[in-house]
Amino acid sequence: MKRVICYINQFFGGIGGEEKADQEPFITQGCVGSSAAINAALKDAQVTHTIVCGDNFMGSHTQEAVSCIIEMLKDKQADFFIAGPAFQAGRYGVACGNICKAVSQQLNIPAVTSMNVENPGVEMFKKDVIIFKGGNGAAKMREDVRIMTDYVNKILAGGKSEGALEEGYFVRGCRHEYFLEDKRENTAAYRGVQMLINKIYGRPFTTELPIPKKEIVPIAPPVADLSKANIALVTTGGIVPVDNPDRIQSASATRWGKYDISNMQRLEGGVFKTIHAGFDPAAANADPNVIVPVDAMRAYEKEGVIGKLHNYFYSTVGTGTTEAEARRMAEEILPFLKEDNVTAIIMGST
Amino acid sequence: MKLKIGNLHVKDVLFGEQDSFEKGILTINKEAALSYLRECDDHITELDLIIARPGDDTRIVPVIETIEPRCRMDGRTLFPGVTDSVVPAGDGELKALKGLCVTAVGKRYGSFGDGVIDMGGEGAKHTYWSKLINICMVGDTDEEFERHEQQKCNHALRWAGHRLAEYLGKIAFDVQPDDYEEYEFDPLLKRSESRAKLPNVALVMQPQSQMEALGYNDLLYGWDMNKYLPTFVSPTEVLDGAIISGSFMPSSSKWSTYEMQNFPIIKELFAEDGKTINFVGVIMSMLNVALEQKERAAIMVRNIALNLGVDYAIVTEEGYGNPDTDYVRCQVILEDAKIPVVGISNECTGRDGMSQPLVTLDEKLTALVSTGNVSQLIELPACKTVIGSLEAMNRDGMSGSWGYDEVLGKSARDDGSIIMEDNNWFCGDHISGFSVKTIKEY
Repeated sequence: MKRVICYINQFFGGIGGEEKADQEPFITQGCVGSSAAINAALKDAQVTHTIVCGDNFMGSHTQEAVSCIIEMLKDKQADFFIAGPAFQAGRYGVACGNICKAVSQQLNIPAVTSMNVENPGVEMFKKDVIIFKGGNGAAKMREDVRIMTDYVNKILAGGKSEGALEEGYFVRGCRHEYFLEDKRENTAAYRGVQMLINKIYGRPFTTELPIPKKEIVPIAPPVADLSKANIALVTTGGIVPVDNPDRIQSASATRWGKYDISNMQRLEGGVFKTIHAGFDPAAANADPNVIVPVDAMRAYEKEGVIGKLHNYFYSTVGTGTTEAEARRMAEEILPFLKEDNVTAIIMGST
Repeated sequence: MKLKIGNLHVKDVLFGEQDSFEKGILTINKEAALSYLRECDDHITELDLIIARPGDDTRIVPVIETIEPRCRMDGRTLFPGVTDSVVPAGDGELKALKGLCVTAVGKRYGSFGDGVIDMGGEGAKHTYWSKLINICMVGDTDEEFERHEQQKCNHALRWAGHRLAEYLGKIAFDVQPDDYEEYEFDPLLKRSESRAKLPNVALVMQPQSQMEALGYNDLLYGWDMNKYLPTFVSPTEVLDGAIISGSFMPSSSKWSTYEMQNFPIIKELFAEDGKTINFVGVIMSMLNVALEQKERAAIMVRNIALNLGVDYAIVTEEGYGNPDTDYVRCQVILEDAKIPVVGISNECTGRDGMSQPLVTLDEKLTALVSTGNVSQLIELPACKTVIGSLEAMNRDGMSGSWGYDEVLGKSARDDGSIIMEDNNWFCGDHISGFSVKTIKEY
C-alpha cells in the first residue's frame, strides 16, 4: 500500500474560516476534511497523514511554514504529496504551489495540486508544479479530485504521464519528443504540407510549437518639461527599510512596498538594504542609492533639472517574479502615482 | 524539367561471383566493387562491405553518410561536381534501387557529425535507416591531418560512398523498373491558365553551411555552400543529386544525401501540385554563422519569393542552435512580406524538456512542425553485432555521446550498452520530412 500525504487549508481542514487563517501548520494521522475525498479515490494507496495550515500563515510566513512542513514530512516516507484542490481561492492556490514546489524539490517526493485557471497560483507555479485544471469552487470537488487522483494512481502503479493535455494539467513548458504511428500521414513532410494548405485555405490547424506571447511595452514619450516634472523612483531591485516591514519575498515576489523619502537627501546603508536574492547584495547594502538613486535625483532637483522628486519610492523584487504578478503589482501601484500627480517614473532594474 | 525515376524494389542484397539484379535480389561482387573504390581514391587504406538488414541485432556507428544507389540512363553522373564533372541535373531518367542505402561507416574513427543506426530492437524506431537494407561500406583512410580532430571532412569515405551508390545503381541499368515516379516542373513563365488561380507555394531549404573552412559543408553542384548566396532551383534538381550532404552538424539534425535524393517535403508538395497549390520551386538558401550573412540570405530569399510571386512558403533548416536564427529570421521576413509560412524543424528543449525550444522565438511563427528533441536522453542494451567502432562514441567528440560523465558514465559501456542524446542518431530527427516524431507538453 502506497502512502499519500495531503495538504489542505484551515477552511477545508474544518478548523474555521478567515478567523483561523493564521493557523500554524500541524499534521494529523489519516484524513481531515477534504482529504477524505482524496483517500476514497486512491487505489492501492491511502492518505496516511494530512497537513493543515492557515492561508495567511503560509502567505506571510512562507519560509517558516514551508520548512516546518518539510520537517514534518521527513520521517513519513510519503510516496506522493497532494495539495488542494484550491479552486479559485487565491491564497490557498499560492500556498499549494509553494508547498508542492518545496516538497518535490527538497524531498524529491512527487507532488501535485489542482486549481482553477483564474487562480494566481497557476501563473506563479505551473512551471515548477503539476497543477491540474480545476473548477471554480468547492462544488467541483469530486471532479477535481478524480482528475488528480487518476493521475496519482497511474504514477503510483508505475505508469507514465501521457502528456499535459491528455492528463488535464496546465502546460508547464516541459517538452519531450513523442513517436506517432509510423505511416505517411504522420510524417513531418505530410504534416507540414497539410498545415500549410490549412493555413492557405483558412482552415484550422494546430502548431506543434506554440510560441509564448510576449507583451511588448511601448517606450514612453519624452517628458515635455522636465523642470516642472514630479519624478518617482520605482524599483524591482528589492530596496526596503532594513526590517522589511511589508515582508516582500526575496524571489518570486507577490508583494510591494511604498516608502517615504520626503525628508531624505539619500538612502543610508543600515537604514535601507536589498532583499533581492538574484544578485550579490554587498554594493546595494553599502549604498542603496546605486539601485534607488535618491542622491542623484536630489542633486537634479537642486539644479532645477527636474521639478521635484516624488515623496515616496516603490519597491518589489524582480527575480523569478512572473509577468502576471508584475502586472498586478503595477496595476496596484499606478493609482497612488496618479493620485499624487507623478509626471514620470524611473524604473530601475538590477 | 521532367524527372522520371524508375524504381527497382530490392528484396535482398547478397555477395556473389557476378554483379546482378534478378527478381529483386541484388548480387554484388564484393572484391570488384572494393577494388574499384580503392582505385578511385588512394587515400583509402581499408575497406569492406557488410550487409545489415532490418531487424538485425546490429548497431552501426560511426555512420558518416547514407546514399540511395541509382544510375542515370543518359550516362550523366549521379552527383555533378562531386563524383564527376559538373553537368546539369534535374531532368531525364534515373533508375533507383529502393529499400536500401549505401551507408558509409568509419571503421575506427568518427567525428562530430557522425551518428548511430540500430537495425533492431528499441533503437530501430529512432531512424528511417533501420527500415532499409544497409550496405555498410566500412573503411579507414590515411587522412592523418584530421585523424584526431573532432571536425572531419571525411572526404575519402564520403566520396567512396557516392561512387559506390552509382556503381551499384549501374548493376540495374538494363532491368525493367517495378514502377515509376515522375516529377514534372513546368517552366514558371509558361504555366497553364488552370494553375493561375492556385496559390503559389515555394519551399525554402536551408542546407548546412556553417563551417568557414571548406570541405565540411553541403555541396551544390560541387560548390561549398558557405561561399554561396540563395538562388532559385528546381525541386527536380534536388531529387536528382544536385546537392549532397556534408560532414558538419550534430548528427540527428542533418539531411543525408539519401534524404536530399528523396526529400519528403518536396514529394509531398508535388503530391498537392496542381490540385491545392501551384508548386513554384525551391529557394535554396544556407546557414552561415555571421549575422550579416544571415540577414543577407534572408533578404535574398524574401526578394526571390516576392519576384517570383510566391504566396506561401515552407521553410526548413538542416540544423539547430545557431541555424535557428536563420530559420526564424527567414520565416519572419517572409511573414512581414505577406508570405505566410510553415516551418519544419526539430527542437532543443534539454534533457528535462524545460529549455526554450529554439534559440530565438518570434510570435509571427504560428505554424511549426516539430520533428524531435535533440537532447532527449536514450539508454539501450548492447547489440550482438557492431559494425564500425563503439569506442568512437566515447573518444571522437560525436555530438550526442561522451567519454566521461560523473553521473552517467561513458556513452558506450564495456558491456556494449549505450547511453546518449538523440543528437547521436544518424539524421534521426529527419527534418527532411521522414520523421514520425513530434514534441508535446508533459
